[in-house]
Amino acid sequence: MNFLKILVRNLVHGPSTVPFPFGPAWTPERLRGRIVFKLDSCTACRACEQVCAPGAIRFDKTPDGLRFMMWHNTCVFCGLCEFYCPTDAIRQSDDWHMAHATADQFTMAIREVIPYVSCTACGAKALASSPNPVGITPPFTPEEIEQQRNLCPGCRKKALAERGAAS
Amino acid sequence: MTTLLEKITDQARALAVRSPWIYRINAGSCNGCDVECATTALIPRYDVERLGCQYCGSPRHADIVLITGPLTTRVKEDVLRVFAEIPDPKVTVAVGVCPISGGIFRDGYAVNAPIDKYLPVDINVPGCPPRPQAIIEGIAQAIAIWRERL
Repeated sequence: MNFLKILVRNLVHGPSTVPFPFGPAWTPERLRGRIVFKLDSCTACRACEQVCAPGAIRFDKTPDGLRFMMWHNTCVFCGLCEFYCPTDAIRQSDDWHMAHATADQFTMAIREVIPYVSCTACGAKALASSPNPVGITPPFTPEEIEQQRNLCPGCRKKALAERGAAS
Repeated sequence: MTTLLEKITDQARALAVRSPWIYRINAGSCNGCDVECATTALIPRYDVERLGCQYCGSPRHADIVLITGPLTTRVKEDVLRVFAEIPDPKVTVAVGVCPISGGIFRDGYAVNAPIDKYLPVDINVPGCPPRPQAIIEGIAQAIAIWRERL
């Protein structure tokens, strides 16, 4: 009579097959999926490029600035870039819907340029990267971050020293 | 006679469109993607056979090919031979990042990735390994392509 027990259980709980692709699929909250890059927070420290095991992340110097490039078709979704990013500019979403036609394979990349600006203090050419606000007390205000973004590294250091914060 | 043959062919095509058979080629994979492919097929939780697919043992019966692995030099000739045995029209699905770009083995001395230098690939399923649902999604896209080709 064991089969009756199984029959009743199946009637109550329904089939164990997940409805995908005919319905939504359950996704774990911390699934390491598609990379999301936030250009505003990037400090251009290139730590992600350093730790990327398959070399999916690359920084190139272009005439306009420093180009961040990342290709999902090389990424192994290990999460090291997210772990080592000091400002959470790079993180992994739980999006795993990445199957695509081969013709679209190069659209599976992230290409963002951190532009060059001339330093507002000394006029030198510098990257408009975000300052690293981690560990700074009291924390930067949004206006201060914008101000720092337009400074070259030397002037940034000076500004921080005048502000009295350990950077 | 021709009309009868055409009729039979049309009938066969109408039936075949409902059940593409899947064949799996391991082109030097680390076995991660193969485990996920097996999971996709064998475990009732994912059950790819709902789409009408069935894993077949012979390349001559296959309609959709799942390729895993970065095409290592050791298996390259065998993979190309087996691939050539699969009758047209076939749809190729590259499972995992290895066949697409080499993934973690990229630029290795024994690795011939990307695989589309040697074979026509239709669908890419990135992931290391991709989760079973992602493989099902790729197979669903492959079935759509296969229906157009048939």
